[in-house]
Amino acid sequence: MPQRRVGLWLAVLTGVALIVCAASLLFGAGAVGPVASLDTLMRTLSGRVADDNAWFAIESLRAPRTVIGVLVGAALAVAGALLQAVTRNPLAEPGLLGVSGGATFAVAIAIALGADAATLRVPVAQLGALAGCLAVLAASRVRGAGDDPVRLVLAGAVLSGLLYALTSLVLLFDERTADEIRFWVVGSFAGRRPADVIALLPGLAVAALMVIGIARPLAALALGEHVASGLGHRPRLVRLLVVVAVALLVGSATAIAGPIAFIGLVAPFVARALVGPDVRATLWLCLPIGAALTLGADVVSRLVVRPSELPLGVLTALIGAPVLVAVVRSRRLPTL
Amino acid sequence: MNTASQQAKNTIAPAGSWRLPLGPARSGRSVLLDKRACGANLLLAAALFTACVASLCLGEVSIAPGAAIAGLFGYGDGMDVFVLQQLRATRLLAGVLSGAAFALAGCLMQTLARNRLATPGIIGLDNGATAFAVASVLGVGLGIAPPAVALVGASVATAIAFGLAGGIGTQGYRFLVAGIGVGAAFDAITRLMLARSAIDAANAAYPWTVGSLNGVGALALNMLAVGLVIGLIGAAALARALGVVRFSEGVAQGLGIRVRYIRLGALALSVCLTALAVAVAGPVGLIALIGPEVARHLSSRRGVPLMGATLAGALLMVAADLAGRVLFSPIEIPVGLISTVVGAPVLLWILLRPGHRIGV
Repeated sequence: MPQRRVGLWLAVLTGVALIVCAASLLFGAGAVGPVASLDTLMRTLSGRVADDNAWFAIESLRAPRTVIGVLVGAALAVAGALLQAVTRNPLAEPGLLGVSGGATFAVAIAIALGADAATLRVPVAQLGALAGCLAVLAASRVRGAGDDPVRLVLAGAVLSGLLYALTSLVLLFDERTADEIRFWVVGSFAGRRPADVIALLPGLAVAALMVIGIARPLAALALGEHVASGLGHRPRLVRLLVVVAVALLVGSATAIAGPIAFIGLVAPFVARALVGPDVRATLWLCLPIGAALTLGADVVSRLVVRPSELPLGVLTALIGAPVLVAVVRSRRLPTL
Repeated sequence: MNTASQQAKNTIAPAGSWRLPLGPARSGRSVLLDKRACGANLLLAAALFTACVASLCLGEVSIAPGAAIAGLFGYGDGMDVFVLQQLRATRLLAGVLSGAAFALAGCLMQTLARNRLATPGIIGLDNGATAFAVASVLGVGLGIAPPAVALVGASVATAIAFGLAGGIGTQGYRFLVAGIGVGAAFDAITRLMLARSAIDAANAAYPWTVGSLNGVGALALNMLAVGLVIGLIGAAALARALGVVRFSEGVAQGLGIRVRYIRLGALALSVCLTALAVAVAGPVGLIALIGPEVARHLSSRRGVPLMGATLAGALLMVAADLAGRVLFSPIEIPVGLISTVVGAPVLLWILLRPGHRIGV
C-alpha cells in the first residue's frame, strides 16, 4: 500500500528529526557540554533548581536556533519540491537557481538604503525571491533552454553568481551594511531573537495553506498540461500560486538564515527515492527530511571548529554537491 | 629550373590570407597568415598597450603618460618612480600575465572539450586550485609554495571533472553542471579552511574567495611568467592539430593526427596555466570564458584563436583591475567581482539566446 508506506516513512523521519532537535538542544560550541545540558534540561522540566548559565545557553541560544533550523529546513525543502514539480526538472533548486540570491540581494540593497534590518527584512526578502522565481520561470520558458533541465540549472548558477557578486559590491560600499549582514550572508542560525522567528510565521502560514491547496492540481500537472486542464485544473493559475508560495518560503528562510543552497535539492531527492514521484507524498516527506538535514548540518557546524562556528552553507554544499553530480550523471535524467 | 622553387612561386595563398615564405625560396616552405586574425591580434595588442599605459597612469596618484613610461625605467620624480616601479608595475604585470594565462587555458579547454562553455572556471578547476593554495598558505600540514600546491589542486579537480565526464561526454551541459558540483564542493572546503583559521577580515580572504590582484607574491608571479612562456610555445605547437580536432575526431585521425596526445597535451597546458594564474590572482574564472569569446568574434572562423584569446584575456584583466581601482576610488573593487558582474550577463546571453550552439 503506497499510502501506508508514506505514513510509515513519515513517522520514521519525524522521529529522526526529533532526535536531531534534541541533539541541537544538547550540543553547542560553548562550554556547556551535552551532559550538563541534559542535566539542566531534566532539572528544569521536573521543576527543580538548575544551573543558570546552562539554562541560559539552552533557552536563549539553542532553543531559538532549533526552531529556526526546523522552520528553515522544512521551508527550503518544500520550496525545492514545488519548484521541481512546476519546472519538471529534478535539479531545480532555489539556491542554485538564483531565488535565494534574489532575496539576499534585495535585503542587502534595503539595508544599504537605510532600512532597519529587523522590521523590513522578511517582506523585502520575499519580494527579492519573487523576482528571482519569475526570472527562473521566464528562463524555463525560453525555447530550447526550458526543455533541457541541465541548461536551466547552468543559467541559474550563473544568475546566482551574478547576484552574489552584486551583493558583495553593495557590502563593499557600505561598511555599516557589511557589519550588519556579513554573518548573515554566509548562512547561519546564530544569534537570532525570538522576535525574528515570530516575524516569519505569517508568511510561512500563508505558504502552507497555499501548498495544501495546490498539491492536488500540481500532481495532475505532473501528468502534462493537457491532462491537468482535462481534469478541470488551471495550469497557469497553479503555476502562479506555486511561484508565490516558493517566494514566500524561500524569502522567509533567507531573511532569517541567509542564503542556504542545496537543501531544496537533497531533501526532495531523498523523498523521491523513498516514496516515488508523487508530488503529494514528496511534499509531506520533505518536511521532516528538510528539518533534520538543516538542523543536523547546523549541529555539526557548531562542533567542527569549536569554539567558533562554521557557515552553514559550507556543510550543505558538502552534502549537496555529490547529490547534484549523482543526479546529473544518472543515465536518463528523469523529467518530473 | 628547380621544381621546388617553381612550385613555391606558383602556390597562391587562399583568399583572406597571406603566404609568408620561410627560409630560402627554393625550399618551398611557407606559412599562411590569416589576414583577419592578424588584424584582430594587432587591434587587441594596441588596445592592451593602451590599457597598460592607462593602468600605469591612473590611481590614487595620477601620472602623465610620458612621465609614467619614463618613470618605469627609473627616470623622473622620485616619488613617481617609487609608485610606478614598486606598486603599479608589479600589479600590471600580474594582471597581464594572469589574464593571458586564464584566457589561453580557457581557449585550449574549450577546443579540446569541443564545448564553448567548458572553461576551467566553470568546471571547478579554479576552486580546486584555490582550495589547495589556501591549504598551503594556512599551513595545513604543508610547507610548499602555493603555486605548486595550486597545480596539484587543479589537477585533482580536472581528474574529478573529466572522470565524471566519462559516462556523459564533454560536449553537453551535464558535464558543466557536474563541474559546478565539483566547484561547489571545493569552494566549501576553501571556506571551511578560512573559517578554521579565523581570518575574520573579509579583505584578507578576498584574493582567495573572489579573486583580486592585491598582494601578489613574487614567487607566484615568476612561476606564472615562466609557465605562460611555456604555455604559449606549447599552444603554438598544438594550434594546427587543434584546428582539425575541433571539427571531428574522425577527420583528425584520418589526417594522421594523434588525437589522444593532442588532447592530453592541451589539457595539461590548460591545467598548468589555470593553476599558476589562480596562485597569482585567485579564481577569476570568467576571463577564461570571455577572452576566447571576444577573440572568436574578432578573428575569422578558420583556426583556433589562441593568440587572440591570450591578448584579449590580458586586456580584459587589466581593464577590469583598472576599473576596479579607479571607478569608485577610494574604494577598491576586487577584479573578481568586476569580471563576474560583466561576464555573467555575457554567459547568460550565450546560454539562453534562441538558436544557440555550444560547439566551438
